[in-house]
Amino acid sequence: MNAETNNLVPSFVVLQVGTRRIALPREGVAELIASPLLFTFPHTTPLISGVVLRRGRILPVLDLAPGVSGAPSSSTRFYLVVERQISNASEKCAIPVQGACELVTGIVFPAGDDRGFVTGHLDLNGEQIEVLDLEKAIAFSAAQKSEWIPATEALS
Amino acid sequence: MFSIAEYSFVISASSVQEIRSTDSLGGIVVELDRPVLRKVRHIVERDARSYYVVSGYEHFHLPLSRPTSVLILRDVPVAVLVDRIEEMAEMRVLLGLPRSFRGEERVWYRGLTVLGRKVLPVADPRGFLTVDELRRLEEENPGLLQTAGHAVGASRYERERV
Repeated sequence: MNAETNNLVPSFVVLQVGTRRIALPREGVAELIASPLLFTFPHTTPLISGVVLRRGRILPVLDLAPGVSGAPSSSTRFYLVVERQISNASEKCAIPVQGACELVTGIVFPAGDDRGFVTGHLDLNGEQIEVLDLEKAIAFSAAQKSEWIPATEALS
Repeated sequence: MFSIAEYSFVISASSVQEIRSTDSLGGIVVELDRPVLRKVRHIVERDARSYYVVSGYEHFHLPLSRPTSVLILRDVPVAVLVDRIEEMAEMRVLLGLPRSFRGEERVWYRGLTVLGRKVLPVADPRGFLTVDELRRLEEENPGLLQTAGHAVGASRYERERV
């Protein structure tokens, strides 16, 4: 594959969220950071576990794991910083990740997905990695979490 | 800075009229006939002014805590029960709440600040009781804020400012 062809092949960041490896389009990913401190305070927005401080900026931490792997992420020092579009403005958010992230290129194959946030899958040496639409994954995970809250209250 | 349960908060000193211990609050405490909000069960009257007593832990949906102090706010008819007053500090920066936050926190906080390398929420004094909550309280307990010692005109003035 020459350089010209390589530029046409989309690239992705593969990350581990909870117990699963997933991929996000490279364009929406800013950087991988190690942040020792997660600051928490009361709020009612699903998925947000707190904020981290990065170069004087405050980044909300969005945990995708409930929707993606079925349980919240275990504690971590590493966050993938992604760019979101919210109300016609961009905002950087941090996604907790377990371990290292990989930058890969590859063709996305279509995938049937009843959850609506998987746009396709990558074949990485035989491993099938789901490629996520970040905004749809956030909406799905938030809906999952909202369903858990009444169930938890009913049990308590 | 004050704390409720395990969390610390910041509130502008200019929005606080007085800080009292719950043991030495003084004044007249009146129980609401109809506590339409879980977080408000009493009115306290001090120095001819009356305030709805807001439970801090109920307001922020936190586990039951042991309030030992009361923040009596300046421009709203609200007294907030908090666990502890931690310290006075100079707030150098007020950052907007990131847009990803979409819940009640948008009413609760003016934004976030960084103090001693910690990120803390800055409470909005007008967020403890919204205009709608104040209206509901007064509709269900008509005149109680006034009879607890508050002048009618002043109450309306405050309500408009809230």
